[in-house]
Amino acid sequence: MAEISPAERRSPQHLVEISARVVKNVSIYAFLILGVVISITPFVWMILTSFMTLGEAQGIRWIPSELHFENYTNAWREANFSEYFLNSVVITVITLSGELSFSILSAYAFARIKFPGRDAIFGLLLSTIMIPAMVNIIPNFLTVTWLGRIGPIKWINNWPALTVPFMGSIFAIFLLRQFFAQIPDELYDAARIDGAGHLRFLWTVVLPLSKAPVMVIMVLSFIGSWNALAWPLLVTNSPDWRPIAVGLYNFVEEAGQQLNLMMAGAFITIIPILLLYFFTQKQFTESIARSGLKG
Amino acid sequence: MTQHFVTARRVREWRDYLTAYLMIAPSTILIFVFGIFPVGFALFVSLHKWRLKRGNFLGMGNYVRALDNLAYILFFALALGLLLWGWRSLRGAQRRAAEHGDVFWWWALPGLLGAGMLLALINWLYRLLPELLDIADKIIGVEKTRALFMQLLSEAFHAETAFAAWKVFLVVLLGFGAMLAVLLWRGWLQRGDNPGYFFAFWGVWLAGLIGSWLLWVTYHAVQAAYAAALETGEDPGIWPQVITIGAGVILLVVSWQLWQAALRQGSNRSFFGYVLAAMTLLVGAWLLIGELPVVMAAGDKDIWQGLKVTIFYSLGTVPFQLTFSLFLAILLFQKLWGSELFRMLYFLPYVTPTVASAAIFRQLFSNRYQAPVNQLLIKLGMEPQQWIREPRGIFTLLAENLHLTIPDWAAGPSLALLVIMIYSIWTYIGYDTVIYLAGLGNIPTELVEAAQIDGAGRWEVFRYITLPLLSPTTYFLSLLAIIGTFKAFNHIWVMRQGSALGTTDTFSVVIFSEFFEKLRYGYASALAFVLFAVILSLTYVNNKIQGSRVFYG
Repeated sequence: MAEISPAERRSPQHLVEISARVVKNVSIYAFLILGVVISITPFVWMILTSFMTLGEAQGIRWIPSELHFENYTNAWREANFSEYFLNSVVITVITLSGELSFSILSAYAFARIKFPGRDAIFGLLLSTIMIPAMVNIIPNFLTVTWLGRIGPIKWINNWPALTVPFMGSIFAIFLLRQFFAQIPDELYDAARIDGAGHLRFLWTVVLPLSKAPVMVIMVLSFIGSWNALAWPLLVTNSPDWRPIAVGLYNFVEEAGQQLNLMMAGAFITIIPILLLYFFTQKQFTESIARSGLKG
Repeated sequence: MTQHFVTARRVREWRDYLTAYLMIAPSTILIFVFGIFPVGFALFVSLHKWRLKRGNFLGMGNYVRALDNLAYILFFALALGLLLWGWRSLRGAQRRAAEHGDVFWWWALPGLLGAGMLLALINWLYRLLPELLDIADKIIGVEKTRALFMQLLSEAFHAETAFAAWKVFLVVLLGFGAMLAVLLWRGWLQRGDNPGYFFAFWGVWLAGLIGSWLLWVTYHAVQAAYAAALETGEDPGIWPQVITIGAGVILLVVSWQLWQAALRQGSNRSFFGYVLAAMTLLVGAWLLIGELPVVMAAGDKDIWQGLKVTIFYSLGTVPFQLTFSLFLAILLFQKLWGSELFRMLYFLPYVTPTVASAAIFRQLFSNRYQAPVNQLLIKLGMEPQQWIREPRGIFTLLAENLHLTIPDWAAGPSLALLVIMIYSIWTYIGYDTVIYLAGLGNIPTELVEAAQIDGAGRWEVFRYITLPLLSPTTYFLSLLAIIGTFKAFNHIWVMRQGSALGTTDTFSVVIFSEFFEKLRYGYASALAFVLFAVILSLTYVNNKIQGSRVFYG
C-alpha cells in the first residue's frame, strides 16, 4: 500500500474513513463484550452466591454482605466433597494409566508391525465409535455385575467398575496410531541394527517423540472421567467410590435448599478443570475441538 | 532352490506377529468385552422380558410395545434392506469378476461356509449366554472357589441346547478350516482379486441369510398377532397398515429417483415434467405414510413424547447456536486486540463440568421468585415464571398472556425444555465458535482479495465466498449437534424436575429412566436399539442430502 502523505491524512475523506473504522471497531467490541457477559454471568453468580449466608443466597441480592469462606470448608467436610474429590482423582489416575499403557501398546502394533488380520481387527474396533453409549450401558451393567459376583473382587461400588471399562479406548488408539505411523522407518532400522526390539524402540524413541498426542489423550480422559454421570450413577450406591459429578448431583437433588453450599460445591467441582484449562489452554482447546467429545 | 519351512526370517516374522498380538491383546479384549459384545448382549436383553432379572423370551415384544405395529414395518424394511444390499454387492462383485475374466460363482461355497461359521458361532454364544449368566446366581451364598467356578463353567458348557449348538459350530468350523487350508495350500486365495470375491460372497450370504431369517420371523410375529387379535375379536389392523405404509415408502423412493433423473435432464420442459411427476408421487407417498401417526399413537406414549422433545430440542438449539457462533467467529477473526482472551472466555461454558454448570442453571431458572431470572422478569414488569417446573408449552403461555387459547398441537416445547435449550446454546456456542474460527483460517486470503478487486462488497464476500467455503465446517457441526441432541443426557438429568411431567425428557433420558428408575432392562434395551437406528439413519440421510451440497474447497 502506498504511503499516505500528510496532506491526504488531513483530508476530510480520510477523517471519514478513520471515524468509520472507529465506529466499526466499537460495535464489534460491543457485541464481543455482550457475548462475554452472557457466557460468564452464571459463573459470577455462582461465585458470589457461594460466599453468602443461606439467607442471603435465598434472597434476591447479588453481592454478599461479607465473604463466608466457611461455606467452602463446610461443603468440603460435611457435604463430603473431600471424599468425592479424592475418589474422582483416584478414578482418573487408574483409568488414565490403564488407558494410556494399553492404547500405546496397541497403537504401536497397529501402526508399525505387519501381522495377519491387522486391518480387519482395527476396522472392527473402529466401528465401535458409532455405537451410542445408551446401547452399551445396560449390557455393561449386567456384565459388570456378573463379573463382580463370580470374580474374586467386587466390581459394583468399587474401582473396577468405574475404571476398567474405560481402559480400552479406540479413540486413543486411533489418535496415537496416526501419530506413530508418521515416524520414519529409518529410525526403526537404525534402532534394530543397534539390537533394539519393538518394545525398546517404543520406549526409547517413539514415546519421547509423542508427547503431544499423549497430552491430548490425558486431557480428554481427565475431562471424561470428571464429567461422567450416567455410568457412575449406576455402579455406585454409597459415597465410598462416588466421583465428584455424582456427588454434586446427589447434593443438588437431596439438599436442594442449601444454595450457598451447593454453589461452593459446584465451584470445587469446576476448579480442577479450570486450572487445567488455563495452564494448557492451547492443547486443551485443540484436543477438545478435534474430538468433539463431551458427556 | 530348496525352501526350508523354518528359516531365520520366518522365525523373526512369527516373533513379530506374536509381539503384535500380545501388544494389542489388552485393548482389543477390553473393547470387545465393553464395546462390541454389549451390542449383541443388548439385542439378547431386548428380546426378553427382563425386569432386574431375566424373564421369558418375548421376541419382538418389547419393540412392538414401544412402536406398536410400526415395529413389524421396520423389521420388514430392515430385512428388505439387507436383501437388497446383498443383491447389489453380489452384482457389483460379479461385474468386477467379469471384467477381469475371473472365475466367480465358484466362490459361493467358501463364502457360504464363512457366513455359516459366523452364524453358528453367534448361535452357540446365544445359547451359552443364559447358562453363563446363571452361574452368578448359583454362586450366591456359597464360598467362591476356583474349583467351583470351573465346575459351574463346565456345567454351563455342557448344558443341553448350548452343547448341541457347540457341536454344530465345531462341525462348520472344521469344514471352514479344511476349506481354508486347501485354498491356501493350492495358492488360490493369494491370487489376484480372489480374496475380494471370497469376502464379497461372505457378506452376501450373511446379508441374505439374516435378511431371510428376519423376514420369516416378522412374518410369524405378524401371523401370531393376527391370530391373537382374531381370538379376542379385535381389529388387528396390521396388514392394512403394513401395505399402506410400505406402498408410501416405495412411492417415496420412486419419486426420489425421478427427482434425480430430473436433475440430469437437459431441456427445461422435460426437467419440469420430471419434477412435476416427482412432486405428485411425493404427495401421494406422504398421504399413504400419513397412516404412520395413527400407528405411532398406539405405541408407548413416553417414546413419542421423547422423540417430540428431541426434535424440538434440536430445532430450537442447532440453528441458533450455529448462527451465533458464526457471527462471533467472524467478529473474532478480525484479529482485534484481545481476541484470544474473548475466545478463551467463550469456551469456558463448554469446558465446565456439565453437572456443575447445569446445577447453576437449575438455580438461575428456579421457580422461586427470588431466583435471578425471575427477578429480571419482575424488574422488566413481567410475571415470574415456573421455568424448569413448567410443563406447559411456550406458545400456550404466550397466548395466555394475550388472552387467547390455542390448540394442544401448537403448544410448542415446554418452558422447562426452553431452559434446557438455552443452557445447551450457552454451552455449545464457544465450541462452535472455535471450530468456525479454524474453518475461517482455512479460507485462502487470495480468494477474498480477488473478489474485492472485482468490486465485491463485504456482504458479497460473505455470501459467495466465506459461507460456501465454510460449508464443510457447518456440515460437521450440524451433524455433531443433531446427533448430540439424541445423545444429550447429563445436563437434562440434572435439570429434570418431576413437575415438568417428562416434557424435558429426550430420547436418551427416556431410555435411562426406563432402565434406572423403572428397572425394565429388556424394554430399555429395545428402546436403545431404536435410538441406534435413528442415529444411523440420521447420519445416512444427512450424508446424502448435505453431502451433495457441501462444497469441499
